[in-house]
Amino acid sequence: MNLHSILSILVFSPLLGIIVLAIIPKAQEKAIKAVGFLATLPALLLSLAVYAHFLAGKNLSDFSVSVPWIQFRGINVQEPIFSVYYELGINGFQLLMVVLTSVISTLAAIGACKFIKKEWKGYFMLFLLLVTGMLGVFTAENLILFFIFFEVTLIPTFFLIGKWGYFEKEKAAYSFLIYNGLGSAVLLIVIMVLFAKTGTTNIEMLKQMVADPQLFKGGFKLGLFIALLVAFGVKLPIFPLHSWMLRVHVQAPPSVVMIHSGILLKIGAYGLIRFGMGIFPQQFEKLATLIAILGVINLLYGAFLAFIQTDFKMVLAYSSISHMGIVLIGLAAMNEAGIQGAIFQAVSHGLISALLFFLVGVLYERTDTSLIENLGGLAKGMPLAAGFLLAGAMASLGLPGMSGFVSEFMAFLGLFKVQPWIAAVGTIGIIMTAAYLLRAVLGMTYGKAHREFDGVLDLRGVELVPVFVLMALIVLIGVYPSVLSSPLQATLETIMLGLGG
Amino acid sequence: MENAWLIPLFPLLSFMILLLIGKRLREASAYVGILLTLASLVFSILVLFERFSEPSYLAKFNWLTIGDLHLTAGFEVNQLNALMLFIVSLVSFLVHTYSKGYMHGDERFHIFYAYLGLFTFAMLGLVISPNILQTYIFWELVGVGSFLLIGFYYYKEEAKAAAKKAFIMTRIGDVGLLIGMILLFWQTKSFEYSEIFNAVEAGGVSNTMITLTAILIFIGAVGKSGQFPLHTWLPDAMEGPTPVSALIHAATMVAAGVYLVAALFPLFTASKTALLTVATIGGITAIFAASIGLVQTDIKRVLAYSTVSQLGYMMLALGSAGYVAGVFHLMTHAFFKALLFLAAGSVIHAVHTQNIEEMGGLWKKLKLTAPLFLIGTLAISGVPGLSGFFSKDEILVAAWEGGHPVLFLLALIAAFMTAFYMFRLFFMVFTGEKRGKQKDVHESPSVMTMPMVLLGILAVVAGYVNTPWFGSFLGDWLVDGNPALGHSHIEGPAWIMIAATVVSLAGILLAYLIYGKRSIAPDWLSGKGDMLHTVLNNKYYIDEFYKLTVVAFVTGFSYLLRFIDVFLVEGIVKGVTGIVQGLGRTGSKMQSGQVQTYGAVAFLGLAVLVVIYALTGGYLR
Amino acid sequence: MSSIPASAFLALALILFCIGLYGALTKRNTVIVLISIELMLNAVNINLVTFSKYGINPSIDGQIFALFAMAVAAAEAAVGLAILMALYRNKKTVHIDEMNEMKN
Repeated sequence: MNLHSILSILVFSPLLGIIVLAIIPKAQEKAIKAVGFLATLPALLLSLAVYAHFLAGKNLSDFSVSVPWIQFRGINVQEPIFSVYYELGINGFQLLMVVLTSVISTLAAIGACKFIKKEWKGYFMLFLLLVTGMLGVFTAENLILFFIFFEVTLIPTFFLIGKWGYFEKEKAAYSFLIYNGLGSAVLLIVIMVLFAKTGTTNIEMLKQMVADPQLFKGGFKLGLFIALLVAFGVKLPIFPLHSWMLRVHVQAPPSVVMIHSGILLKIGAYGLIRFGMGIFPQQFEKLATLIAILGVINLLYGAFLAFIQTDFKMVLAYSSISHMGIVLIGLAAMNEAGIQGAIFQAVSHGLISALLFFLVGVLYERTDTSLIENLGGLAKGMPLAAGFLLAGAMASLGLPGMSGFVSEFMAFLGLFKVQPWIAAVGTIGIIMTAAYLLRAVLGMTYGKAHREFDGVLDLRGVELVPVFVLMALIVLIGVYPSVLSSPLQATLETIMLGLGG
Repeated sequence: MENAWLIPLFPLLSFMILLLIGKRLREASAYVGILLTLASLVFSILVLFERFSEPSYLAKFNWLTIGDLHLTAGFEVNQLNALMLFIVSLVSFLVHTYSKGYMHGDERFHIFYAYLGLFTFAMLGLVISPNILQTYIFWELVGVGSFLLIGFYYYKEEAKAAAKKAFIMTRIGDVGLLIGMILLFWQTKSFEYSEIFNAVEAGGVSNTMITLTAILIFIGAVGKSGQFPLHTWLPDAMEGPTPVSALIHAATMVAAGVYLVAALFPLFTASKTALLTVATIGGITAIFAASIGLVQTDIKRVLAYSTVSQLGYMMLALGSAGYVAGVFHLMTHAFFKALLFLAAGSVIHAVHTQNIEEMGGLWKKLKLTAPLFLIGTLAISGVPGLSGFFSKDEILVAAWEGGHPVLFLLALIAAFMTAFYMFRLFFMVFTGEKRGKQKDVHESPSVMTMPMVLLGILAVVAGYVNTPWFGSFLGDWLVDGNPALGHSHIEGPAWIMIAATVVSLAGILLAYLIYGKRSIAPDWLSGKGDMLHTVLNNKYYIDEFYKLTVVAFVTGFSYLLRFIDVFLVEGIVKGVTGIVQGLGRTGSKMQSGQVQTYGAVAFLGLAVLVVIYALTGGYLR
Repeated sequence: MSSIPASAFLALALILFCIGLYGALTKRNTVIVLISIELMLNAVNINLVTFSKYGINPSIDGQIFALFAMAVAAAEAAVGLAILMALYRNKKTVHIDEMNEMKN
C-alpha cells in the first residue's frame, strides 16, 4: 500500500462506519453497536502499524502527504497567492497522540455499548465523527486543516453531551459550546492573522517565517501568543477558564467523558506545545514564569477543591484540572525534562482518567450514585471494581511503577532546574493529590458498607477489556517509559532547537 | 552476585500468581508465597556469602532518556545491600510462614499473601537500588505495600483511617526526599550514589546545598521511619494484621529510613548541620516515644512506640557518625522486634484481645511463646549477653564520642524507660492473676512457633558478630574499602557499658516491683503526676494538634477556594452572560413590531449619514 | 421642454418622496401606507429619468431602470396587497399599529 495514503485512511476510516450505520435500521441495537465498535478498529490497527513502522527504525516522514487544495489571490495581482494544502503528517509526538486517541476511542466504543441506553444509531454516528475529528487534529500539518478538524470535534461533542448526558446535560453542553466556541474563535483570529501576513498556514513554514523580525514585531507576536494561550487554555483548561469542564465531566455520559478527559483536553496541551512553543518560542520563554505560576495554581487549586467534593465525579473533574497543572509546570520548565514530562503527563492522564471514568460509569450503572458517602464499603460487593479503582487512584497520585509518576517526576525535575521556588510550592500538590484521592477512593471502597450490595454485579465480561488494557498500558509506561520517550526524542530536539537551547 | 536481581523478582512473581489465580488456590496460596520467598532467602544468603570474598557488584541499563540525560536502573550489591537483603528476605520468609497459621480461615487469605509478596518485592528492590531515583521508586512502592496491608481489614473504619494516615504522613516525608533528590541531581547531574558521593567529595556542591539536600532527604527518612514529628502514623498502623506489623512496621520498612541515611552516609557526613539534625531528631524521638510507651495498654501499641523509640536510637547513632552502630542496631532490632511482634501475635491469637489489662497469667498456658517473648524483652532491654545489649552499647558510645552529651543522656534515660515498659508489658501479660475473659487459651500451631524460635535464637546470638570483647567482624566488613563511612569500631570508656547495664537492670527491677511483685502500686506514678499521665496517655496530643492545625487549615483553605470557585469564577461567568443577556433583552424591547417605527429609525439613520456626508465632503478621517 | 431646469424635476421628486415618506410613516391604514410607498418609488423614477436626460453622461440607462422599478413596484403592490388581504382575514383589521407580529 502507498504509505502516503495511510494517514488519510487512518483519519477518515471512522467515516466508513457512519456510512454503514446510515443504512442500518434504528432498532437493530446489536448491529449498531457492533458497527460502531468495529469502525474504530481500522484506525487502531493502522496507528499501531505506524508505531511499529517507527520501531522498525524507519522514518515517520514517509507518511506525510501534501496535495494542493484551495488557492486564491487578492484583488491586486501583485499580492501573493494564498494557498491551502491538504497536508497530513506525523512526528513522534503526534504519533503518540494518535495512538492514544485510537486506543481510547476503541475502549470508549466498548464503554458506549455498556453505558448508552438509547438511540445508539445517532450516538455512534456522532461518536465516529468525533473520532475522525480528533485523529485529524493530531495529524493536520497546517493550521486551517487543524482548525477544521478542531471544529469537527466540537459539534459532535456538544450533541453527545446534550443528548445522552445526565440531568443537567443541556446546560453542560451549552457551557461546553460557548467556552470552546470562544476559544476557537480566538484561535481562528490567530490563524487568520498568520495566514494574512505570511500567505501560508503550514506549521513548519510558519516557524521560519514568524521568526523573521521583518515580518513580525516582538510585541505583536506576544499578543498572538497570548491569544493562543487563551484559546488552548480554555481547552486544557487553565484556571479561571475551567468551569465548563466541571459540568461536562459530571453531566456527560461516561463513554464521552472517557474521550473528553482522555483526549479532548489533551488537544489543549498539544496545541500549546506544537503551536505555542513551536511557532512562538521566544514569547513562550518570556511568559515561562507566568505559565509556571499558572501551572502551580492549577495544580493546587484543583487539588484543594477536589479535597472537599462529595461527588466522585467532581473529585475526578477537579483532579483533571490539577493534573493539567502538571502539564503547564512541565512546559514552563522549557527544558527537555519538563517538556517530556508534560507530554508524558498528557498521555498518562489520558489513560488514567479514561480508566477512572469508565469505572465510575460502571459504578453509576450498578448503584445509581456516584456520591462518595453513598458508596462506602464497596469493596465488599464489588472487589474487582474496588481494586481497580484503588489502582487507578494510585496511578493518578503518581505511584512509581505507573505512568503518573514518570510524568510528574519529569515535570518537577524540569521545573526545579529553572524555578526551584515555584516548583517547591507545587510539591504541596503531590501531597494533596494523595490526600484527596485516598479520601475519595477509600471513602467509597473501604469502611463499613452503608448499603446492601446484594445483587450488585462486579466487573464482568466485556467490561474487563477496557480496564485491563488501560491498566496494562499505565503499568507499561510506568515500568518501561522508553515506549513513550523514544519516539519523542526527535520532536524534543526540534523544540529545543526552536527554544535556542 | 550477577543474579542478585532475581531476589526481588521471586516475591513479585508470587504477587502476580496470587493476584491472578489466588482465589482458586485458597489457603494453598501460602505455599506459593513461602516457596518463592524461600528462593529469595536462599539467593540472599548466597549473595551475602559471596560478598564476603568478592568486591561489590554493580549492573545498570538505560531506563529513561530525556534529551541527553540518561537515567539508569540496575542493581548493586555492596556490604550494606547484601546485609539488608539477608535481613529482609529472612524476616519476610519467616513472616510468610507464620502467617499461614495466623491468617488461617480468613476469606481474603490469598490477597494477604499477594500483598505480602508485593511488599517484599518492593523492599528487596529498595535495598539493591544503585541510585537514589530507583530507591525513591521502591520507597514509594513499599509505602503502598504497607498501606494495603494496614488497610487489609478494609471494612474496619479504624483500619481505613490508619491506612490513609500512613500513606499521607509518609508522603509528606517522601516529598522532602523527592525535592532533595531533584536538587541533588541538578547539582551533581546524576542520581547514582557513587557519582553523587564523588561530586560531593570533589567539592562540586556548595555547603549550603549539601546541608539542604541532606536535610530534605532526611525528611523522607523521618516520614518512613516514624521519627518525630511524623511518627503518629506508625502506632495507628497497628490496625493491620500482626504479622504485617512484624514485617513492615518493625523489621523492614520502617528501617528503610535508617537504611536511606546509611546509604547516603557520605552525603550526611559532609555537613555538620545535617548530622546534628539527624542526631537530634533521633534522640528526641527515642525518649519521646519511650515515654508514651510507658502508659499504653494495647500490646501492639506498646511495641509500636518501642519501635519508634528504637528507630530514634538508630538515627541518633547515624547522626553521631556511628555508621556501624546504626546499621548494627538495625539488624539486631529487626530480629528481636520481629520476634516480639510475632510472639505478641501468638498471644493475641490465643486470647483474642490486644488489651494487656485483660491478659495476665499466660506463662503457664503459652509454654513456648512466653519464653520467646521473654528473650525478645531481654534483648530489647539491653540485658548483657543478648544482641540488643551490644548494639545499644555501640550507639551509646557513638553518641558520647560524637560529642553529644545531652543526647547521650536522653538515650540513657530512654534505655531505662525501654527496659521498664517492656517488662511492664511482660509482667502484665504473662504473670500474675488471670484477668478478663480468657477461654480455651492454647499455644499456637508449630507453623507459627517455629519462625519465632528461629528469631529467638537470632535475637540472642546476632549480637556476637560485633562485640567489643570478641572483635567487630560486622564493623570491619561494613566499612571495608570505604573510609567515608567512618571507623569500624569506636572505642569508648568502659563506664558507658556499665551505665547501660545498670539503667536497663534498674528499669527491669522497677517494673518487677510494680507489676511483678506488686510491692509498689501501679498508680504510684499516675497518682503522683495525674497531668503527666494524661498527657502521656494522649500521646502528647500530637494527633489533636495536627487535627487542629494542618487538617483544619487544609479544609478551611479548600472551602475558601470553593467560595472563590463558586462565587468568583462562576460569578465572572455569570456576570458576562448577564451582561450579554441584558443587552439582548434591551435590544429586543426596541423591536416593537411597529413597521413604521422601524422605517422612521431607518430614515433618521439615513438622514444622519447624509448630514455627515454633507459636512465632511465624503471623507472620514 | 428644455426651458424647464433639472432642479425643478428634482424638487418635484423630492416633494413627492417626502409626502410618500410622511404617509408611510404616519398613516394607520395599511392601504394608504402601500400607496405612499408607491409614491416614493415614483419619486425615484422621476429622479432616474431626470438624470438620464440631464446627467453628466446622458444615456438611456436611467429610463430602463425606471421601467424596471415600475415592474418591481407593480409586483410589490400585488404581493403587498395579497399579504394585506391575508392579514385582514386573520386579524380583521387593516390598521398597521395592530400588526406587530415582528415584535421580539
